[in-house]
Amino acid sequence: MKNLITAALAATLLLGTSLSASALERGGTLTYGRYADSLFLDPVLNDANVDIWILSNLYDTLLLPTDDGKGVQPGLASEYKMSADNTSVILTLRDGIKFSDGSPITPADVAWSLKRASKKDNGIWGFMIESIDDVTTEGDKTVTIKLKHPDPAILAALTVFNTGIMPQKAFEASAGATEAEKAKSFGEHPVGSGAFVLKSWDRGSSLKLVRNEYYWGKGEDGKALPYLDGIDFELIPDDATRILKLNSGELDGAELIPYSRVAELKSAANLDMQLFPSTRVQYLTMNVRPQVGGKDNPLANPKVRQAMNYAINKPAIIQIVTHGVGTQQTSYMSTATPLHTGDKPLYPYDIAKAKALMKEAGFEKGFSTSILVLAGNQDQIGISTAVQQMWSQLGIKLDLQQVDNPTLTKQYRDGTFLMRNAAWTDDIADPSEITSYFVNSKTIEALHSGWKSEEADALFEASQKEMDPKKRAEQYAKMQEIYNSTGPTVPLFETPYPVALNKRVHGFLQIPLGNNIFAKTWKDK
Amino acid sequence: MSALAKTARSMLRGKPMPRSLITGGSILLVSLIMAVWPTLFAPYDPNEFDYNALLAAPSLAHPFGTDSFGRDVLSRVIHAYTVDMQIAVFATVGPFVFGTLVGAFVGYVGGFWEALFGRLVDATVTFPFLVLVIAIVSVLGPGLGNMYVAVGIVGWVFYARLVASEIKVQKRLDYADAGRVMGYTPWRIVFRHLLPNAITPAIVYWMTDMALAILLGSSLGYLGLGAQPPTAEWGVQIADGKNFMNTAWWISVFPGVAIVLTGLGFSLAGDGVAEILRVRR
Amino acid sequence: MPLFSFVIRRLLQMIPTVIFILVVTFVLVRMLPGDPASAMLGDRARDADVNRINHELGLDQPLIVQFFYFAERVVTGDLGNSIGLKVSVASLIADRLPVTLMLTVMSAVIALVLSVPLAFVAAMKREKLADSVIRGTFQVGLSMPVFYVGIILLTVFAAQWKLFPVGGYGTTLPDKLYHLFLPALTLALSFAAVLMRNLRASIINVMNAEYVDFAIAKGLRSRVIMIKHILRNALISTVTLFGLQIGTLFGGAVITETVFAVPGAGRLLIDSIYGRDYPVLQGLTISLAVLVSLTFLVTDILQAWLDPRIAR
Repeated sequence: MKNLITAALAATLLLGTSLSASALERGGTLTYGRYADSLFLDPVLNDANVDIWILSNLYDTLLLPTDDGKGVQPGLASEYKMSADNTSVILTLRDGIKFSDGSPITPADVAWSLKRASKKDNGIWGFMIESIDDVTTEGDKTVTIKLKHPDPAILAALTVFNTGIMPQKAFEASAGATEAEKAKSFGEHPVGSGAFVLKSWDRGSSLKLVRNEYYWGKGEDGKALPYLDGIDFELIPDDATRILKLNSGELDGAELIPYSRVAELKSAANLDMQLFPSTRVQYLTMNVRPQVGGKDNPLANPKVRQAMNYAINKPAIIQIVTHGVGTQQTSYMSTATPLHTGDKPLYPYDIAKAKALMKEAGFEKGFSTSILVLAGNQDQIGISTAVQQMWSQLGIKLDLQQVDNPTLTKQYRDGTFLMRNAAWTDDIADPSEITSYFVNSKTIEALHSGWKSEEADALFEASQKEMDPKKRAEQYAKMQEIYNSTGPTVPLFETPYPVALNKRVHGFLQIPLGNNIFAKTWKDK
Repeated sequence: MSALAKTARSMLRGKPMPRSLITGGSILLVSLIMAVWPTLFAPYDPNEFDYNALLAAPSLAHPFGTDSFGRDVLSRVIHAYTVDMQIAVFATVGPFVFGTLVGAFVGYVGGFWEALFGRLVDATVTFPFLVLVIAIVSVLGPGLGNMYVAVGIVGWVFYARLVASEIKVQKRLDYADAGRVMGYTPWRIVFRHLLPNAITPAIVYWMTDMALAILLGSSLGYLGLGAQPPTAEWGVQIADGKNFMNTAWWISVFPGVAIVLTGLGFSLAGDGVAEILRVRR
Repeated sequence: MPLFSFVIRRLLQMIPTVIFILVVTFVLVRMLPGDPASAMLGDRARDADVNRINHELGLDQPLIVQFFYFAERVVTGDLGNSIGLKVSVASLIADRLPVTLMLTVMSAVIALVLSVPLAFVAAMKREKLADSVIRGTFQVGLSMPVFYVGIILLTVFAAQWKLFPVGGYGTTLPDKLYHLFLPALTLALSFAAVLMRNLRASIINVMNAEYVDFAIAKGLRSRVIMIKHILRNALISTVTLFGLQIGTLFGGAVITETVFAVPGAGRLLIDSIYGRDYPVLQGLTISLAVLVSLTFLVTDILQAWLDPRIAR
């Protein structure tokens, strides 16, 4: 019964309609506990994940992702269409939209923002809109994006944080000689287009946002969004402390609840433990180069990789690490990613088959190898300890090496690692991002594994320009088939985003792409 | 053995053995036995999973319960004796010996050596320890051996400084002058006369330091830089149990008790040794 | 004016220490595997982006050239800008270091208040019940990892009894001190245990020494003996230890600040290590070195005052 209610509540939140007994209330400030502080809140020049999940509250995009993270809906642009030859996007801006300082959002601002975002070597996110050739304006409402080639993902790309619209004049008037310096001084007193605007930032402690008086969105009461007067993000890196602060009522919400505490918080009377569907997948990456560090690498043998996949009892890992919150993967991409295929869990646990494959591969006696674990990360430690035990049945001796993030990244990028733990979340409602990193050998050598499939590479290149949805789906089906059977990863599980909220908070949403959406959030007085 | 007993008796000069040494020594003896033969006491393989008993509460089958992998906590606590006693000794004995020697030398000769030593101490102690550990572990790779290296580089300074400042006081006392008047070599004065009196704080600190080393292992475990899984180690066990403090307290409480007990053993033994050295004077 | 010249001499001695630390930090930091760009960009970094950012930061230049630039700037008092946060290192340190300083001082005070009187009681009642209870309690405090003690104190005093806030940092000074009390107590527990044990041993040692007998024989009143002789002499090694432990205390602050969500320099330090934020790491290490050196100076002066023979 309780689960039913929770499910119903989750469903109502997802639909964005309020069926709950309490009536909508405006005002108040929400305090939200984060695990890490942002670094730099510029849509284009930010470098890290800690920034991007809250950026959409500060800078609105032309289009917005739908609540299920799979589609596109109007944002600052009320209408959008592709040209007949698929080489340009024509967008019409919403009437009367304004920046947080009250100045109008003009097509010129839009064109400038998009050109800035797509300029080569300006930030690291440009690859998602590399197809943009030029942006032109007509009158006071129309913007045309000209493309270098047809791009099936361009509409989805216009919902991503790096295409957020910024005020050209205010930005250019900021002090500084270079783009980076201007971005820095603009960031001190930013003018935004999102539902909220930055009020103060006490680095390492708190980040305060206040409502943007001029935001275009309308609430259920017909008045302007957002409902809240402001949001205080508080930085509380320790999981246990974050939860204590939530329990004591000092926080209204807290992100990244450890899976081990989900059940406990679900039964807390004053809390609403949410598990938002996500695009997050947890996996192990294997280096498939024949030699690593001058030594023969058994992982180069696809049969060995298959054997290792079969030898893992995924339901057991899901129980041990996620305490039942996770689900088995059916493809390398999450089920929430568009064009995902597959309905059966990959590599069901089969130790006999695993042993047979090891024998076929000539490794009946097993071998020694190692795995990189992000130091202190309980999930990765749990996963690695469990697979260490499971692979010992194949005679594989796995050495766990906990290292800090830069060390891990270095060995990863240099291709000197043997195996590593990793997780992935999509930023865009399109399978091309994850596929370019996982499958395409030309982006980062298929997760720096050295894995390469000519066929998959060709399919990927074709799919990047394929405008026929059916054909593109077929290409993706084929790529998933190749990768899931011979690829360099051990898919483990998908997990939702665990967010705990006080019961007085309503309407908060974290979409599968990770964006925290506070525009329709409100709280009881 | 008898020679040792003889020395002890002569040191005690007929007075009874201090109670704290007896208690502390017994605790340490038991710990040592556990550390050498853990399999005699542990009911299970410490790394064996039991999927049917994940996070099981203490029961007859598992007196200390099980952890999130279904591993028997009692067996892990017992097997951790091997690792933790090793940490306590290996991380401190080198610094203690080296630091004491350097401290005695510097404290006695003074002058240039003392000034040089002073700068070295300043530089070592002022450098953030954590940066050093992370740097060493990052360069050499994670694991206990490299942790000893990091701890050793810094640790000796504490002993050296404690001993040096005591020696400086002692060497001005009458009996040191008496030694010099008698024509003893500086070696003899330092090691036979000054050091036994000056070493007390260092020994007391050493015993505390062994407990601190185990604790440091746990802090490093929290950061993932200590003993690597699946090795059972109290500090890592406590760090593992952190997320289960409300739901499965036994994961972290029992290793915590083991740390407290062992630490108590070291401290009591340390106090006892100090007592003997005092009696002797 | 022997004290004055002593202080001047010690201040001058700090200079080589700081230079040494400067060089060691610079080299050590660059020995760490990985680079700021890949630390920041993470798994999805493409080579082109990593190389571009490292070039913009001047990290592709020879080490000796980098060091020259760095040393030149430090001499002019410029610590550079943070790579990750893109603000000046000086302002970051000015924000964060006082927090940690306050935390450390507060816990040192708590540790002294806890340890000095109890060490006296334990030493006087040696091997009696009071002694056992005091030592046993401190031993438990000493044996618990900081993160564990922190969570327990938070759960009991903050979440359940609501006597203190659950972590965080205040705005006004009294509010800040209020927020810092539990983290300071957490840090103080193990520190107090170390001090208490050492002080207890020293007091016993001094009480056994001949000069106390001599003083008693001279007929001085017992309280005067206690204060003038025992405490003064017992404090010598304790003050040494106190100075040495200040550095360790700071190490403990790293984890305490994380658990209590205190925006101090300890957390900045660990963030800058994990982020390979070279300028912040260098700036912080140097500032800390100066700070700890000053603490040493203070303990040295204290020692010289306690035992004038040492300053000679």
